[in-house]
Amino acid sequence: MADFEIKDLRVGVEGREILKGVSLQVNRGEVHAVMGPNGSGKSTLSNALMGHPSYQVLGGEVLLNGQSLLELQPDQRARLGLYLAFQYPIVVPGVTMANFLRTALNAQRGYDGKDKAKAIGPKEFRELLAEPMNTLRIDKSFLSRYVNEGFSGGEKKRAEILQMAVLRPTMALLDETDSGLDIDSIKYVSESINSMRGGELGILIITHYTRILKFIQPDYVHVLVNGQVVRSGGSEVADQLENTGYSEWVDEPAAAAAVAEEV
Amino acid sequence: MTALVLSAADELAGLHDEPAWLRAKRRQAFAVYERLPLPQRTEEEWRRTSLKGLDLDAFQAFEAAGASAPATPIADTAGVLRQSGSEPGKVEIDPELSRAGVLFVPLSQAAREYPELVQKHLFQEVRPDRDKLAALHAALFSGGTFLYVPDGVSIAKPFVSQFWSSTGGALVLPHTLIIAGRGSSFNHVDEFLSPDLERPSLTSGSAEIFAGEASNVGYVALQRWGNHAWQFADERARLEKDSTVRMVHAGLGARFSKNRVEASLNGPGARAELKALYFGTGQQFFDFHTLQQHVVGHSTSDLLFKGALREQAQSVYAGLIRIEVGASGSDAYQANRNLLLSNQAKANSIPMLEIMNNDVRCTHGATVGPVDPEHLFYLESRGIPPMVAQRMVVHGFFGQVLERIPVQQARELVEQELEDRIGF
Repeated sequence: MADFEIKDLRVGVEGREILKGVSLQVNRGEVHAVMGPNGSGKSTLSNALMGHPSYQVLGGEVLLNGQSLLELQPDQRARLGLYLAFQYPIVVPGVTMANFLRTALNAQRGYDGKDKAKAIGPKEFRELLAEPMNTLRIDKSFLSRYVNEGFSGGEKKRAEILQMAVLRPTMALLDETDSGLDIDSIKYVSESINSMRGGELGILIITHYTRILKFIQPDYVHVLVNGQVVRSGGSEVADQLENTGYSEWVDEPAAAAAVAEEV
Repeated sequence: MTALVLSAADELAGLHDEPAWLRAKRRQAFAVYERLPLPQRTEEEWRRTSLKGLDLDAFQAFEAAGASAPATPIADTAGVLRQSGSEPGKVEIDPELSRAGVLFVPLSQAAREYPELVQKHLFQEVRPDRDKLAALHAALFSGGTFLYVPDGVSIAKPFVSQFWSSTGGALVLPHTLIIAGRGSSFNHVDEFLSPDLERPSLTSGSAEIFAGEASNVGYVALQRWGNHAWQFADERARLEKDSTVRMVHAGLGARFSKNRVEASLNGPGARAELKALYFGTGQQFFDFHTLQQHVVGHSTSDLLFKGALREQAQSVYAGLIRIEVGASGSDAYQANRNLLLSNQAKANSIPMLEIMNNDVRCTHGATVGPVDPEHLFYLESRGIPPMVAQRMVVHGFFGQVLERIPVQQARELVEQELEDRIGF
């Protein structure tokens, strides 16, 4: 059994079935990419895996290290090692990044406000942040800002990866992480992700475009069309998509050009 | 024991050893009180606010000092005034400041010793003839604070007045009069508090602020009356040229709380910041009516009122921006945000504009709704349990107002009070 298994997952939104039986297997150390055109169900996949309340699971199973996730709340899934880098990170007014990160780390460690020994200390907190903040070129002042408030597109995505580096998941879903990124940000973000790659971490990159895959080479590529995986293979699948786009499956004029968006 | 009769005004004046002119003022106000009916729901201002259950005959005119007041949690002050019930307050002030001409004394003492200063200002901005309850406040106010800071005097530490009620069944109507000299700068905190008591009380906590030219005044009202209180209060600032007034109202207590918060901008360069937060639980009811009155142009007002309501708590907010003829080049902002934390909680929000001029910038907005589930999902996706996530979002919601409370210890006090209420 793989470390992360999606078995015949079917998901609906507002009564309409979007994912029509998706199966994927990701082992620790591997990087997978799920590629698909608009409306193929990519966002539904990432949101349903994390447990967003607007998505109804209609059938199937998701296992992380043998543990079934679909009955669990989002926070429980996260504490088991699942991570979602949001396509559109949410602004949470009045909550500082520092408070947010510290609370998340404390939750991971089972600190509920009582046993101080479990809480992360200020020194350890600083040390945990130092390296990824450096790699991601994130300024210290960032910690006293409110979560994603007033962040540029690039800052938001870098912040998503910073959280990932700090929380150290075993399975990370990166939803359109390259969208809205300037060229500097995409370098910092991929550098940071590549430094985490391998070892205990499995990665699932969810993307429309091949651009990010030039920076983070996937081991496996899956094509999602109309709620189903229509092709799986090695990185050559992405190369092929760059030439042909999704035209093989959908009527999308200039699809090829769109897939190979300029870097 | 004295009911709400004319002789009560005399008794109070006697208790506070007030001069004849103030005694006469009380009597005048009492005549207005007797003449006016209770506000009716047919009046626009009271349309959503019910006085059902308010029985003025049930109140004694004043409250004897009962159990002693708790120490104010705000340490390191420029001066402290403590008043229990209707007894005259006691003051401590930094002697350096007294030498610099700062006056920080019980209101009645000021009326005796500085009549020219007090007479000119008292009840000029908070008008007794506005309605029956404002008249009652002026007729039977139970003392209060007078703070005068001379021209050019800057004070870093805050002044704190603490009004404490411990028996109930009576009127507890403190009044604050603040006069800021030209170019002066300081902060004042009014703390109104009592435990939850058996018998209902009628309370206020009204304040008049006269901000002289280029002065900078911070005013914080911490309303923490017990859940037996009917509270009616007027806070009003008058701003001269280039002055800045920052008012923050924290509405935490009382069963029923009706507050008018107003600023009139009377000189170019004047800037009024009106901020409030309120958190209702149980059966609490809050009513805020605000006014940003731009009498003169090139003045700025910035209002933000934020409230959260749990259980069956309700709130009404109605805010008016009025730009008078000739007040061109004014900027006015107004926002009221309400967070409903239960299905039964209700918030009404009515922003209004009256603009007699074209060359102005005004924005206003109101929102009422539950905690945004996307906010919760985002926090929970990082492993934060739902209860903790909810606390963070609610606490964060108040952040914009909290950070504007000019006195750090007052800010911490309010944060703690909020934490206790958020505690799901």
